Amino acid sequence: MVEQVLISKRVRSRTKFSQLPATLIIGGILVGFLFCVAILSFVWTPYDPITLNVRNRYLPIGSEGYLLGTDKFGRDVLTQIIMGARNSLFVSVVSTLISLMIGTLLGLYVAAAGARVKNIVSRAVDVGVAIPGILIAMVLATAIGPGNTAAITAIIIWFIPVSARVVIGPAVQVLSQDYIEAAFGYGRKKWFVLFNHVLPNISSTIIVQASVMFAAAILIEAALSFLGVGAQSPIASWGRTLKEAQPLMEIAPSLMVVPGLAIVFAVLGFNLLGDGLRAYLDPQQTRKR
Amino acid sequence: MTQETKSVGPIQSAPRRFFRSQKVRQVKGFITQGVVLLISALMGSLVVFALLRLLGGDVAYILLGMEATQEQVNMLRAELGLDRAWFVQYFDWIKGFFTGDLGTSFSGSYEIFDQIGKRLIPTLLLAFGSLFVSIFLALILGTYAALNVDNAKGIATDIVSQIGTAIPAFWAGLILVVVFAVSLGWFPAGGYIPIQEDFWGSLRSIFLPIVALSLGITSVTTRFVRSAMLDVLNEDYIRTAMAKGRTRKRAVIIHGLRNASIPVVTVGALQLGNLLAGTIVIESVFVIPGLGQLLLTAVNGREVIVVQSVVLVILLIILVMNFLLDIAYGLLDPRIRDKRNGTNNG
Repeated sequence: MVEQVLISKRVRSRTKFSQLPATLIIGGILVGFLFCVAILSFVWTPYDPITLNVRNRYLPIGSEGYLLGTDKFGRDVLTQIIMGARNSLFVSVVSTLISLMIGTLLGLYVAAAGARVKNIVSRAVDVGVAIPGILIAMVLATAIGPGNTAAITAIIIWFIPVSARVVIGPAVQVLSQDYIEAAFGYGRKKWFVLFNHVLPNISSTIIVQASVMFAAAILIEAALSFLGVGAQSPIASWGRTLKEAQPLMEIAPSLMVVPGLAIVFAVLGFNLLGDGLRAYLDPQQTRKR
Repeated sequence: MTQETKSVGPIQSAPRRFFRSQKVRQVKGFITQGVVLLISALMGSLVVFALLRLLGGDVAYILLGMEATQEQVNMLRAELGLDRAWFVQYFDWIKGFFTGDLGTSFSGSYEIFDQIGKRLIPTLLLAFGSLFVSIFLALILGTYAALNVDNAKGIATDIVSQIGTAIPAFWAGLILVVVFAVSLGWFPAGGYIPIQEDFWGSLRSIFLPIVALSLGITSVTTRFVRSAMLDVLNEDYIRTAMAKGRTRKRAVIIHGLRNASIPVVTVGALQLGNLLAGTIVIESVFVIPGLGQLLLTAVNGREVIVVQSVVLVILLIILVMNFLLDIAYGLLDPRIRDKRNGTNNG
């Protein structure tokens, strides 16, 4: 076991950049760029995101001083996109991390629990996975009013069964290994074993899942703010920018292109990163596919 | 897997043998699934009801605004039946849900039950239409990608499906409207023509929405088909078929597709929840008077009963579909059924 770890570590440290999966590199660049843009928005944006400038309404893409043009209030589209990146990442990172934490704890608990608990919770999780996030968001938006809070809470509730299900299977598998039995024989407590032996062994699965969940969260955030139940004015959001562009599709169809592309690149980035991480962290499974 | 298999001794009494028989186990499995369905529906309705009552605060206050006097609020509460105990309200709602009497909306402009019934048709048409379209396309594209796994054609299919997964349905819808409705004028930009009024007009009105909805699901399912087909390609029966003189392509299409389609149909049908959620957004893009539009206006108007009823309808559709799928899945693939029921007959 120890030898195996050493060998795999040695091999890994020798992996050259060019040997990394292409999806990992492309996804990493896209996601890295997205994070940089979001951080940049705190210190600098081309224009003030809220100030209106009626004189410069509907400038096309590539206008002087306005790289991506302006909307019906004369606001700079590039600024809106940069601010939207911040909101998208904020919602997806917060909701994904919280639900992963809860889901992982739940999954670990269930994996180590008795057959009866496992049976009941697994069935509940199966049902939970089938319930769409937008539906949860609709209920929450009615109850606590539309906004980022409703969106984030809905995504968390939506993701908990998803992340629990991802954890339960591999955790059960790890728990059947000999070294787990040895750890228990050594007198380790249940949660010690779960955190020190099971969690590290399933961490790659969780990391890959996190990446996929980020992508899904960005998609649903955009959909919710498009419907008007997510981020409210004045918070910039890609979905809301699209909502505002919808009635203008005959006057300024180009307003619709940029926010949509931003969503596509963000989601694509996280999806590719997830695929790449899976290939990098778990080469055996990928080869089997 | 979850049920323990007890070892069965050589001597069994007749009734015991009966209760352990294959058929009875199968029926027991169905009953368990049905119970799970009922419990889930019950829990779901309770959770939705509780969320809206506990977190939502007083609907009467929200409807009347901040300046309302206490008397006005009390009157409205009594009028809407909000002053009764919660379980009375809950049972009243459930009873109304199944007997077809949910009352009128708070704004008084429509009968809730009739509206839901009327709006169910376009939503189901969109959801199931996209489901069939995307499973059909995904089977073709995924098989194509698996057969061309090591050349440019396969890689191109992969890239397309990867990008398709990342495109939000509502944005695809907006772009389709701009291109095919506003610029080219081939399809209406929005609205819905009931299928009984004008068949072709109806198809034209739901064509673009179905394309927009199917895009993402097709891409996701294509990736599943591809990996399922890659597994199948290594199976012995494909080699056997090829040894008997079939070409690789024919062997895959005749034997492989059938075997790969079981997991694919499951994955596709599990997407039904996402599809129904997607219709909410797509109806908003194409202004289709479906359940989603009703739900959205109800959310903005704080129409609590409408929201909880529509959510329960969608929940029931998803649960019933999962139930049927579970049964169909077991019937299609005896190996899964036996494993699930804990039988081990060789």
